Amino acid sequence: MALLTDELKRWIGREAHYPAHEELGRASIRYFALALDDANPLYVDDAYARQAGYPSLIAPPTLVVETCQYAHRRPDETGYIGHEWHLPVQGCRLIRAGNDYEFFRPVLPDDRISVTWTLEDIAERPSSRGGTQLFVRSVARYRDDKGDLVAINRETIVLQPLEPNA
Amino acid sequence: MIASTRNAETLQVGSTLPVMTQSFTIADLVAYGAATWDWHRMHYDQEFARARKFPNVMVDGQCYGAVMAKHALAWAGPRAFVRRLKFRMLAMTFAGDSLQAEAEVAEVRDEPAHAVVVLASRLKNGAKLTAEGTIELRMPK
Repeated sequence: MALLTDELKRWIGREAHYPAHEELGRASIRYFALALDDANPLYVDDAYARQAGYPSLIAPPTLVVETCQYAHRRPDETGYIGHEWHLPVQGCRLIRAGNDYEFFRPVLPDDRISVTWTLEDIAERPSSRGGTQLFVRSVARYRDDKGDLVAINRETIVLQPLEPNA
Repeated sequence: MIASTRNAETLQVGSTLPVMTQSFTIADLVAYGAATWDWHRMHYDQEFARARKFPNVMVDGQCYGAVMAKHALAWAGPRAFVRRLKFRMLAMTFAGDSLQAEAEVAEVRDEPAHAVVVLASRLKNGAKLTAEGTIELRMPK
């Protein structure tokens, strides 16, 4: 049975926009560095960061593409609050395949970052377990309050049938 | 005094970075989830994880990118900038596991305003390859 239905194909090209609610903030940056056990002074020390040529302390590079700080909703039954497409696919589990990040400048605590997700493609391909699985390619664009791109996150997830669909 | 930033001209293709270990207790998973505003139960609710046939709560796969970037920048120095980070997830990591970050210089090239250093990066859980990727660093000349 084909996983990639006509209904699902109509999702390709959809967008979801999340406006910034506040500045990223020093607390978010220090919290992330502590969570990763990252002692790099660039993330907590303004004077140090200025000596290295930055206007202030900076965020660890992947913070902006990993955080769901852009979201503003109560957790769903899984606890998650970040972006999800909620595709009409039954009986599949979601597996992260990989990410490809591009960064255009260091992110600063005063940045207000809005995010636009686009569903670029859904493809059905053979699975090594037999049957097929869906590859869902999305891109998130992160912009500052001037509209300039600060980062792009290209993400691929796999929707794998719990039982091979032979 | 700030730490020095590596001079791309002195780097040899094939030279390796010191190995870095990143450990994940449940407290670490909770801290990462909170720091990224991700409250998914898979990262702290053992009953939830075991009901889905996983042995324990799971490290967020996106965290692999953060570990690779931390490893690269600790080596490259404060003026290095991550321009691109691309990685594939090859295995899951659970609470109680430790990952070893390894990398080597894959390419060094000169551009008009700066040098570019490309690292080939891997995360291993013991002998098991957990993630692999490439990190493109922009370095001052």
